Amino acid sequence: MFHSTGLKKERGTPPLSFLLSALAKRRIFGGISLLLLFIFFVLPLLRLVELSFSGEEGFTFSVYQEVWREASTWTTLWNTVIIVGVSTLFSAGGGLLAAIIVAYSDIRGKSIMHLFILLPFVIPSYIVTLAWTQLFSSNGWVAALLEKLPGDIAVVNLYSMGGIIFVLSISHFPLVYLLTVSVLRRIPRELEAAARVSGAGKWQTFRTVYWPLALPGLAGGGLLAFLASLDNFGIPAFLGIPANIPVLSTAIYQEIAGFGPQAFSRAAVLASLLGAAALIGTLFQWLLTKKSQNHETSYEDTAPRFTFGKYRKYAEIIIWSFLFIISIIPLTAMAAASLSPAFGAPFRLDTITFEHYRFLLAGNSQVSGAITNSLTLALITTFAALVIGTTIAYFRVYRPSAFSKSAELSIALPYALPGTVLALALIFTWMQPVPGWNPGVYGSIWILIIAYITRFTILQGRASTTAFMQIGQSMQEAARSSGAGFFSLWRKIMIPLMLSGLAGGAFLVFLSALAELTVSALLWSSGNETIGVMIFQFEQAGYTTHSTAFSSLIVGGMAVIGIGLLLLKKRLEKRGVTA
Amino acid sequence: MSTRLHSVTKSFGDLHALQNINLEVKEGEFVAIVGPSGCGKSTLLRLLAGFDRPTHGEITIGETMAANASEALPPEKRSIGMVFQSFALWPHMRVQEQIMFPLQHRSSKKMSKNDKQKRVEEVLSLTGMTAFADRMPHQLSGGQKQRVALARAIVASPSLLLMDEPLSSLDAELRSAMRQEIQRIHKHSGATIVYVTHDQEEALAMADRIVVMQNGQIEQAGTPRGIYYYPATAFAATFVSKANIIPGVWNHSTFHPFNRSHTFWEKPKVAPFFQKKSIFPARPDELILIGEVQKDGLQGVIKNVQFQGTYIQYTVSVEETDLTVHADILQNFAPGDTVTLQLKESSIKGIGLKQA
Repeated sequence: MFHSTGLKKERGTPPLSFLLSALAKRRIFGGISLLLLFIFFVLPLLRLVELSFSGEEGFTFSVYQEVWREASTWTTLWNTVIIVGVSTLFSAGGGLLAAIIVAYSDIRGKSIMHLFILLPFVIPSYIVTLAWTQLFSSNGWVAALLEKLPGDIAVVNLYSMGGIIFVLSISHFPLVYLLTVSVLRRIPRELEAAARVSGAGKWQTFRTVYWPLALPGLAGGGLLAFLASLDNFGIPAFLGIPANIPVLSTAIYQEIAGFGPQAFSRAAVLASLLGAAALIGTLFQWLLTKKSQNHETSYEDTAPRFTFGKYRKYAEIIIWSFLFIISIIPLTAMAAASLSPAFGAPFRLDTITFEHYRFLLAGNSQVSGAITNSLTLALITTFAALVIGTTIAYFRVYRPSAFSKSAELSIALPYALPGTVLALALIFTWMQPVPGWNPGVYGSIWILIIAYITRFTILQGRASTTAFMQIGQSMQEAARSSGAGFFSLWRKIMIPLMLSGLAGGAFLVFLSALAELTVSALLWSSGNETIGVMIFQFEQAGYTTHSTAFSSLIVGGMAVIGIGLLLLKKRLEKRGVTA
Repeated sequence: MSTRLHSVTKSFGDLHALQNINLEVKEGEFVAIVGPSGCGKSTLLRLLAGFDRPTHGEITIGETMAANASEALPPEKRSIGMVFQSFALWPHMRVQEQIMFPLQHRSSKKMSKNDKQKRVEEVLSLTGMTAFADRMPHQLSGGQKQRVALARAIVASPSLLLMDEPLSSLDAELRSAMRQEIQRIHKHSGATIVYVTHDQEEALAMADRIVVMQNGQIEQAGTPRGIYYYPATAFAATFVSKANIIPGVWNHSTFHPFNRSHTFWEKPKVAPFFQKKSIFPARPDELILIGEVQKDGLQGVIKNVQFQGTYIQYTVSVEETDLTVHADILQNFAPGDTVTLQLKESSIKGIGLKQA
């Protein structure tokens, strides 16, 4: 019947004059919040586009033309197209295969498998890269294995186009998997039954029923992988910069780090290109998700739909070995490297040393500063995102209006854009917000705080939106018709029911901020290093033992937090609250 | 303490969900509001609960003004209980916590902890849920959830108990059992109930009074028997008593179906609505079929036969109009048979409502 969700309607309304002034107050409050959102979240992007068009005497295309004429630009673009394109295809293929196996097959241990598949995506991509480079280093485990084999096979060089594509695919196939697996589970199995009783064979059923219904999910996941590859900085920075294979995100970084004449304008041009590509991809992704929601039932059917039969054991062995190789072995190789006395020394039990860990945790003020900075930044960001994201989510769900829509859009924008683009936009905005006035934000920790909050608030926003939507309107109405006022409603009903969802969002924000590299690489300043920046610097300077030890620490810390969250979820589920 | 709606109108933009509703629900009364989806019945319930505010008109509960166009008492300040279609049990609370909740938040705050616990136990036993007091909602069956929802709604002895299609998510057998339960609880607690449903059988079975709604307006309000036997409008006749609407001519209290001047149907107490519209409301059980073809009778052809156990449902085509007839089990007609339709004797005499 009538879905009137506005809570405002049921409140008693005072006389007209008061009503008008209250309305005006709400307008003012709403206006101010929108203005703040605009200044912090949207304006920087406009500044970026503006700067790409500004020369010495005002508006000009000259920077575009100049950048366009250079051969290096075309090399960069070509590299980007190949690397992003091919890795997207690999991610989509791998993600689909993994999704089919987990959603439909009869293999055992699916929930642990699910976690293993997500691992390469959850761990920051530069740490994944570092792990793989250790595994494939000239004196790593793979090289040692190949030496024992007959013939003269050399280790694959990861510092190459193929290497970048490989690690990108490993990092992003979980994205495709995640989207596709839920779409596959939501396809009602009766549809298959209906096709089979109508005379379609197994293959025909797949082609005519499953494939068209799964396609929007797969395409949506593929687009996400595309966007993630476009955005990725860590992988091409660790592998491509030493091998001189620039892509857009690293080219922008190198312009800024190189600090040449016109560096900012040139970076702005590249960033505008990158940003435009990302926005177009996001638009497609949004349209697809919107479309795909029509078929879905809300019910996730996790019962198997096909069986490996007597080959199940072999299938399980193959799948688990593969997952082990892509998620555990590289991390172990990284941990081993961090325990060896010097870079290049083979890993031996009798030479294990914790020297590098001691150096990181006790010996170096820069490192402890970076850890403190990242922890502080992550905490501040998590808190701010919790407040801003949840508030916007509340309005979005319960008081939908043009206001709440534009608020959501403005916090979504900085995350939709590649991190390098956002970082650059923030530099331009805060270097001189008003001509002639430098508030000293750029060059201090404040620019990082602003950057992290603008970038990650949407993650909490989405988690909170889902949490709000899972609480049916009738849950609140039941409380209010039972006599609960505002505070009781929130304390006893809303917050307990949202806790798991909110915690999930906060966890995501915290981890994303803690190990952030892309934005920090462009915005850090001396004394304001972050964990990501420190690892990047160690790696660039060749202190591989330090970078691997630091990365291992981060992975360990993430594991502890992750397990904690899982336990919390389990406990809440036991109480009947599903996340 | 009665609840009154005075010329209540509720609009959502251009959509008039409720138009000029006047209704009084007396203390202890069980009023069922029936109508098809979109008729405004749920809007009416939400106004009574305080989740929405009327666009015009006012609502009073007892002596207090509950809502008018400019102010409304929020739901938590009204003495109400509500049962939702989806049960709306809080997934993180045990059964007894759910039932305790209204006692902790209503004016019963003065109650001692002991008394509250006693009251919870009382309601648990009234709804037969004592054994499940420590269960979580996901450990309950549909019927048990409904009992908890019911217990939660009545525990604080509200002046007004609102029910929004409470049985529609239960299966047929459970529905019948829960009907008895609700009747028993109504009797035991003496609560004033406003019960919204699209199922006229539910309304007929339980309510003291039925309000039939369509297009945001009240079509008819009256006792179940009153509306069933003497509908005021064609909509009430078709929705509540599933009547056939037969065209013809009225001559005072005599009706000539399909303008047959030789066929006389007497209906002394018919509502003026039908005379004005030249139609006759005939319930399926009011019509009888005769096998032999009578010269001056109203003839029709059997189109469909459905055996129902206690009666047989025929679809009879008379001059292109399909009529539904519930006939005696002893008669047997086959599709294609020609039959004569007559009005039952008892229907002409009318059914005395007084002794009912």
